Amino acid sequence: MRIKITNFAIIFIFCILFLGLFNSTIIQGKKFRDLSDKNCLRLFPQFGSRGKVLDRNGNVILGSRISYDAMILLERKDKIERTLTKLSEILGIETAELINKFKKEFINYSLPVSVVEDISLQQAIALEELKLELPGLMIQPHPLRSYPYGRLAAHVLGYLGEIDRWRLTKLADYGYNTKDIVGFGGVEEKYDYYLRQEEGGMLVEVDHQGRLVRVLGLRPPKNGKELQLTLDLNVQKIIEEKLEDRRGSVIILDPYNGEIIALANRPNFDPSVFIKKSATSINELLNDPHGVLLNRSISGVYPAGSVFKVIVASAALETRKINFTTSFFCPGSARIGRRQFSCWDTHHQQDLMQGITHSCDVFFYHTGLVLGAQLIHDYALKFGLSRPTGIELPYEASGLVPSPLWKRISRRERWYDGDTANFSIGQGDLLVTPLQMCRAMGVFANRGRLVNPHIVKAIDGEDISVYYQKTAPIPIKETNLNFIREGLRRVVLEPSGTANVLSDVGVAVAGKTGTVQVPQGSPHGWFVGFFPYENPRFVISVFLEHGGSSLAACIVTKQIIEEMVKEGLI
Amino acid sequence: MSSKFSILLVALLIAFLGILSIYSSTYQKEGQLWKAIYRRQMLWVILGILLFFLFSNFNYRRLWDATYFLYALAILLLVLVFILGIVRLGAQRWLRIAWFNFQPSEITKLIMIIFLSRYFSKKSVDNISPAASRLDIWKGLIMPFIFTIVPIGFIIEQPDLGSAAIIFFMFIAMLYLGGIKVRYLLIFFGIIILFSPLFWYLLRGYQRERLMVFLNPSLDPLGAGYTVIQSKIAIGSGGLFGKGYLCGTQSSLRFLPESHTDFIFGTFAEERGFFGSCLLLFLYYFLISKGMAIAERANDEFGKLLSLGISLLLSTQTFINIAMNLGLAPVVGLPLPLMSYGGSSVLTTFIALGILANIDKRR
Repeated sequence: MRIKITNFAIIFIFCILFLGLFNSTIIQGKKFRDLSDKNCLRLFPQFGSRGKVLDRNGNVILGSRISYDAMILLERKDKIERTLTKLSEILGIETAELINKFKKEFINYSLPVSVVEDISLQQAIALEELKLELPGLMIQPHPLRSYPYGRLAAHVLGYLGEIDRWRLTKLADYGYNTKDIVGFGGVEEKYDYYLRQEEGGMLVEVDHQGRLVRVLGLRPPKNGKELQLTLDLNVQKIIEEKLEDRRGSVIILDPYNGEIIALANRPNFDPSVFIKKSATSINELLNDPHGVLLNRSISGVYPAGSVFKVIVASAALETRKINFTTSFFCPGSARIGRRQFSCWDTHHQQDLMQGITHSCDVFFYHTGLVLGAQLIHDYALKFGLSRPTGIELPYEASGLVPSPLWKRISRRERWYDGDTANFSIGQGDLLVTPLQMCRAMGVFANRGRLVNPHIVKAIDGEDISVYYQKTAPIPIKETNLNFIREGLRRVVLEPSGTANVLSDVGVAVAGKTGTVQVPQGSPHGWFVGFFPYENPRFVISVFLEHGGSSLAACIVTKQIIEEMVKEGLI
Repeated sequence: MSSKFSILLVALLIAFLGILSIYSSTYQKEGQLWKAIYRRQMLWVILGILLFFLFSNFNYRRLWDATYFLYALAILLLVLVFILGIVRLGAQRWLRIAWFNFQPSEITKLIMIIFLSRYFSKKSVDNISPAASRLDIWKGLIMPFIFTIVPIGFIIEQPDLGSAAIIFFMFIAMLYLGGIKVRYLLIFFGIIILFSPLFWYLLRGYQRERLMVFLNPSLDPLGAGYTVIQSKIAIGSGGLFGKGYLCGTQSSLRFLPESHTDFIFGTFAEERGFFGSCLLLFLYYFLISKGMAIAERANDEFGKLLSLGISLLLSTQTFINIAMNLGLAPVVGLPLPLMSYGGSSVLTTFIALGILANIDKRR
């Protein structure tokens, strides 16, 4: 019985198909044949504009401007060539180039083909006026990304380009198509789904002379959503200016809620190059040996150097391996295992406060040895190292915090005391990103909490920062934190402190310097700190790749803070 | 002529028409990839013939024993797709095996039919009374539903709404054919109707849009709506006799997107016209009615349900795809069995037909 019903159902659905076919081919056949013979469907694209990106005060960092494209919509081949030849005369572009472009972009005769993109307004007006001599030509307005501040915050913002195969396979199911323009790097990539516009279009039926008969379908374009960042344009401008052409990174972070106030990297790039689609200059950027596209602040990994000593000190105090009065003697070097480990100076008797102030290596060799590599590793992880901070920018690196187990697995070697010594002054295998260090310093600024760095404040006016504002407490007692805090202040305040140049910038700064010896080239320079000392509002990290020493980083910091004071931003 | 060879012959005829249409719709496109696409399809069909012979000589009752293994395999493949989707930061439907993109959702359809046939039957040659009529609501409805909803969940996540819907429909059909009590079916429909608004909520934005576009194609003149309009023009302009092979303008001039996969029927109908399309419909009907006849002749419950399931799977896929081409169903991205370009679908269909042939042989 049930099989019979199924049999009937199958016959029934085939009848539906038969009737549908009969209806399409015979009853409505003539209408469709007409539509097909005359190729009289035309599809006019309409473009939306990509979402704007604003700074925290509502200034436009990334906008969009109207550009004009010259497009061709014609069925006859000879006519097309005539129009293209004319067009090449007017615009001064070679005919062969236009024909190639036409062939490349051609999809079918019902879709206009864009042959010249982004022509000037004058050219557009001129072409409009000569329209009668140029059959089939259309001037189509087309919103394009504009970069009012040029290279400013290029790595944070990212650039635009045609979707690549890899991204397309991932995103095709989310409505992305070949030839879509998508973001690469920065918020343009991470928030592409929100920023991207939706193309609209109008499908019309025309008669054989190309006159409109009726509109078959219309889809209005939609603009992308507006993104508000946590960046402060004024601060960003200052750090971009003061970093000059030194290779490195500067980050300014709010120590309480993790908002990135400013972030700049050098070398940087001009994102508008990608809009102009000049193949040679794009290849130059993509193949640059110095990695101009690399966002050093989050994707560059470097040894932390002496800045790491604050973590070692916290771990040692918290685990009671040393106390406030423990002191070690620094004769300028220390023998550990079979090797002599030197200090950068001879400091004689040093307690913890002095050890931090003078960045005494010998003091930290001994501290590290009594503490043990495993504990240093554990505390480094508590300070957020060895994993991405979770900032909403793509390609964030994790860095690396070595441990005896790690060394046995990856290098098949034992962990030596010498490794511990190197580890406790932030050298050796330890790798961090500038943002990780900045966030770790934030723990001392806000007295004990690890924040979630983030850069987007709101999407289309809807505040999303609440998702990032939950901070994690660090298991370190307040007295210990305050002790190290005071040490960080003395680094700047005392004449013998390593960052003493920052003592007269007009605001109380605290922080830690670092000079990282590298196998090749001059050392990296670090300064990571916060200001004002009592009620910090900013955490700053300045990192100079092969910058010579920490002094160079301190000087950049000094210029930045002085400028911020001058502008009344603190 | 034995039904094994008539099935193979008709299937090959359809596949041959498919290859001709794939050639017709791609030969003018530029690029090596397009030029070779009909040859790849030939390779799939040849592999399909081999699989057909393999499965037509493989006692289908062994599938009974292997059912849970097959089910586990299907879930494993789907989980793999899911994990790769996470690793590659985006959903996908494919597993890349050597040079072949394998789509597990295709074979899952067949495996679910085997699974449900087994679930609702007994392993006994003499006992042909439906086993399901004695099952209670827990064993007859809820358990198989849980087994079915797991792969459906993974497939929706891919997101492949069409395949998920097909499996769900096959589940209902198998419940019915397996002979569970009508009142359970009614209860089930009641629950579905209650939960359908929730389902709408679970759909992704673009999937909702597709359904809206089905109701009004002019809403999306660039995407699915455009395709449907062009496909209707292609089919309608074919007239009684068609424009002739390689003379279709809609598909070869690239008006019709997806003209070698989901919209191959449009390509075919434009060139062969009403009569050619009717012949094609007849060929499909012939295959399916063969399957139904085999089901009626089968002398064990498992074989009967299996052949019913396979015939129904073929007919639903054929119906939805052609109806989609005619603008009578939403664009859900289902291939036309045996005709559309795609290895996973071709191979699965040939395996299914091989199983059918074997069921007839064991009679």
